[in-house]
Amino acid sequence: MSDTVNDLPEATGHRLAELEHGLFTSDLSVNEFLLVKEAGFHPVGFVMGSSIYHTGIQTRKWSQSQELTKLTEAMYNARELAMTRMEEEAAALGADGVVGVRLDVNYYEWGKDAAEFIAVGTAVKAEDGVSRRNKLGKPFTSDLSGQDFWTLAQTGYAPQGLVMGTCVYHIAHRGLGQALSTTGQNVELPNFTQALYEARELAMTRMQDESAQLGATGIVGVRLEEKSHQWGSHTIEFLAIGTAVTKGTESVTLPTPTTIISLDN
Amino acid sequence: MSAAPRDDLVALVREAVASLESKATSSTSMTSDLSLDEEFNLHAIGWEAVELVSGYSAFSTPMGAWSWGQGEITSATEAHANAFASAIQRLHHEAAAAGGHGVVGVHIERSIFSTHTAVSLIGTAVRPIGASRVGDDHVFVSDLSARDFARLVLAGWEPLGLATGASFVYAPRRTIGAALAQQSQNVELTNFTEAIYAARELAMERMQRSAIDLHGSGVVEVKVVEGPMAFAAHAVGFTAWGTVVRLAADQHRPMNPALVVSLDDPVVTFDAATLG
Repeated sequence: MSDTVNDLPEATGHRLAELEHGLFTSDLSVNEFLLVKEAGFHPVGFVMGSSIYHTGIQTRKWSQSQELTKLTEAMYNARELAMTRMEEEAAALGADGVVGVRLDVNYYEWGKDAAEFIAVGTAVKAEDGVSRRNKLGKPFTSDLSGQDFWTLAQTGYAPQGLVMGTCVYHIAHRGLGQALSTTGQNVELPNFTQALYEARELAMTRMQDESAQLGATGIVGVRLEEKSHQWGSHTIEFLAIGTAVTKGTESVTLPTPTTIISLDN
Repeated sequence: MSAAPRDDLVALVREAVASLESKATSSTSMTSDLSLDEEFNLHAIGWEAVELVSGYSAFSTPMGAWSWGQGEITSATEAHANAFASAIQRLHHEAAAAGGHGVVGVHIERSIFSTHTAVSLIGTAVRPIGASRVGDDHVFVSDLSARDFARLVLAGWEPLGLATGASFVYAPRRTIGAALAQQSQNVELTNFTEAIYAARELAMERMQRSAIDLHGSGVVEVKVVEGPMAFAAHAVGFTAWGTVVRLAADQHRPMNPALVVSLDDPVVTFDAATLG
């Protein structure tokens, strides 16, 4: 495998060929499996993409809040590699989409500054034979669970793609003078507030840009994660991630939910 | 030790063994680790729990197998496959002896050490209510809970067994020069990515193969454990397992789920630590 994005390792061919002959694999639970069937889809295979990536070094200034573009780029690039490889496997299976996508970063003994970026999910295909691929002609991706996928289908919305935005940001330390002048006072620390705001805005905007590319009308299930990974304090990755959706043409009347009191403990 | 207590001890052991034997032959006793809800679910589809059964197996890996080499570490892969196969076989045997037609809710515990791989399986043997015994080969093993089993049966599917696959592969080391040159760069570590991919393809292919051998049409709840081995940084492992299923009825039966809003309060657990 080279650094180019569009190639799956050779060995993948054999496994995928077997899946095309009727066997399916899936990491869905039984409930999710049955609900995906209920929504009119059949699982075709457990798909996965991964990349072990070495993150470069970027110097940060002690007293300056700034985006660390090199690290942002690394987080984007590595996730993109994993996601694209997963999508390619799904496309090779003739799938319409991938549900239950999980995107993880694992730090093991790979070495300093190296991490595994991994994307896994279950590729599904519509049982009525009508293509459900997104605007770009690729299988849709979604981090919704089988339960959420079914519920979303009831509302007449269709997932288009897993969209994300990330921003690695260094938040300036406060000077000694500043720290001393606020001792004993109730006071907002504007430099911290502003830095956090800006980083979050950048991540959210990037996520929205991705969803605009897919022609989506909204993003559901957005999660905002703040992680320091291995960079120590004051350097944080803001990751916004969610499923872009579009409204279908058919009008739907939502059933009124039944209210229940569970007798479980 | 004096003579008298030893006699007592022998008598005690005899008594214990005798009571064990009598328990095994009586058909009235039933042990299971299922919850009350799960028992209820099982009975609702016409099945009953029979006995808590277990299977354990450990296979050794030759010394030094993990430390240096290239390609797949076949001895480790084989140890994993053999340990799983024997543990499953023992589970089949115990379940069939207890009169079960299958084992559900199997807890899978694996430990992979540099010297050996051990697999321990514990689950509850089940059968259609009052059904007669079947042979070892006709018993299915599944890590699905009794609840999931019941739901699957209601939808017209049946579990056939556990599909497993594993592979351990060496990741080539980067040269010192490459490692130094890449130190400040954003770069993919292709040696590791390729090793993980190789391990994954082999493992998933083996899992699929075992599903096909069981005449299944799919594998659900696939679980994957992957990454470098804790005791050998340049060996990566990929293991996967799941329950093989097949459509038993003529066609899939829809569940027609209803939308519900639960009126339960969120569960608040009492935590003494919060009292300060």
